[in-house]
Amino acid sequence: MTRGMLRGRLGFNVFDVFAFAFVGLFAVVAVYPMWYVLVVSLMPYAEFIRTDFILLPSLNPDLTFYHGIIIGAPQLFLRAMSVSIVKTAVGAGGGVVVTGMLAYAVTKRHVPGTRLINVLIVLTLFLSGGLIPLYLLVVKLGLLGSALSLVLVTGFINTSYFIIMRNFFSYTVPKDLEDACVIDGANEATTFFRIILPISKPMVTAILLFLAVYHWNDWVSWLYFVRDATFAPFAVLLRRVLERPTVFFDSAAGQRFIEDEGWIPPRQLVMATVVLAMLPIMMLYPFLQQHFAKGILIGAVKE
Amino acid sequence: MAEVQVRASISTRSIPERVFFTLRRYWFVYLLMLPGLAWIAVFQYAPMYGLLVAFKDFNIVKGIMRSPWVGLENFQILFQTPPFYAALRNTLIINLYNLAFGFTFTVFLALMLNEVRVSWYKRTVQTMVYFPHFVSWVVMGVLVSRMLYPEPDGPFNVLVGLFGVQPRHWLTDPQYFRGIVVMVNTIKEAGFATIIYLAALSSVNPDLVESAHCDGAHRGHLMLHIYLPRIAPTIAVLFILQLSGLFGSNFELMYNLYNPAVYDVGDVLSTYLYRTGLLNSKFEQATALGLVFNVLGLILLLSANRGIRRMNVMGIFE
Repeated sequence: MTRGMLRGRLGFNVFDVFAFAFVGLFAVVAVYPMWYVLVVSLMPYAEFIRTDFILLPSLNPDLTFYHGIIIGAPQLFLRAMSVSIVKTAVGAGGGVVVTGMLAYAVTKRHVPGTRLINVLIVLTLFLSGGLIPLYLLVVKLGLLGSALSLVLVTGFINTSYFIIMRNFFSYTVPKDLEDACVIDGANEATTFFRIILPISKPMVTAILLFLAVYHWNDWVSWLYFVRDATFAPFAVLLRRVLERPTVFFDSAAGQRFIEDEGWIPPRQLVMATVVLAMLPIMMLYPFLQQHFAKGILIGAVKE
Repeated sequence: MAEVQVRASISTRSIPERVFFTLRRYWFVYLLMLPGLAWIAVFQYAPMYGLLVAFKDFNIVKGIMRSPWVGLENFQILFQTPPFYAALRNTLIINLYNLAFGFTFTVFLALMLNEVRVSWYKRTVQTMVYFPHFVSWVVMGVLVSRMLYPEPDGPFNVLVGLFGVQPRHWLTDPQYFRGIVVMVNTIKEAGFATIIYLAALSSVNPDLVESAHCDGAHRGHLMLHIYLPRIAPTIAVLFILQLSGLFGSNFELMYNLYNPAVYDVGDVLSTYLYRTGLLNSKFEQATALGLVFNVLGLILLLSANRGIRRMNVMGIFE
């Protein structure tokens, strides 16, 4: 008996109308702000101030704001973008490799020490030194203000992802397969790289994406441990633009741009910056949605 | 079997030999663990030693070891500061609002999504409501302040203007600030949080629904007596987990939304800790604060785990 058949039996009534309207309305509320900034960032200023409630995109879109950001301050824009991209790539790539290796090793319960190590790792979910001791450690290690602190200090290994990966390796990867490899004469390294990793691809992708979103969105590690404008990720640039939208036009090229244009409406400039900050997430979204749902369920279901 | 033999042959030897044989036998497993363990030792366990700062008159030049002990003085100072109590009160109030409103809303949203039987519509709605989860709090902060733009042409002001509400500076009004925080948090996270409920709901046996329907149950009955009981264990576990985070606070959410006009109602423990510790360099008090709330959080979490075990639903730690 399928759900489609059920629908036929149960009919379409007031209850359905309410459910439809309720979830639909919430969906609109959830995405309207993003839609709004996207539409406004592409709207000519004259049209923007004329429209009471912005719903539809402009018929003659205007790319001035993006143009201004990219031409006006290549060093600001490109630098922040590349910091964010490198941070995301290094943080997520490194994180998934290190966490995956650790998680796989811990499932080898016959190896002396692995059980204790597992407990010590899981304990970090509940115990921590807190922000200040971590900060003092970063100072002591000489990592304060270093670009390394953007990825290395917080969130490099996330204990929850460790648990998801560990459970995957111990419950989902068939034990017989590993035994078969051993019998066929493969050593542990060969088994790991040639057999385990390839069949774990969907899970590894999910964790990689989890981490990538975290590192792309994270700017608190910069606020706490870096605070050097040279290594500011895109989110920090966004905060600077909020405080002073004209920051893009400080350069000589920016001066020239603003002389040609006359005046750039700051509100729309901010919105174009917001869109750029969301862009990678928007582009990867179909991918993300699929893998995140899967990742969550891998973590929640034990067998 | 091979394992048993290896172990037997190892156990007859001396300790250094045993270590050597174990390492040689399992070198690959240990090698895999090495980088991860090093990171956990340095960035998770080493800072716990730094908690000593809470009991010292800390001097960054002297270092932790050589700074003099002061006993519980830092805690006394902390407990005598009024902003600390304000931050504590705000944290508790916001978390309770979140529990009462955000949590209930998420469950309701999941039940409603489950009632939508038109699959293209359901999929579209899911795609839309998951999206804000992936957006950073910095961006979310900008989006919220744009939506609540204080001029009459701000979208929210235009919208409520239709109902005769005067335009307002929503984000600088202490009366509305906590409410806004909870709403924003719910809008950002509720959609994504339904995933886990929807997974449980999809496992309801359609025959059960069918037979209930034959017995005359209408849609409301089905929801209350079939679907809701199916997710009750999940609701209980998530509720307890969220309750155990009563002293936790979302730094990014507050930091990106609050402003000096609403410090009285919007300053929470994490933002207070950041300002005392990192901005004003009162390391000892901030460490003491962190320690107090780590311990409280730990106690709440362990009790939560006990509660979950008692309910016999599932262990979260295995």
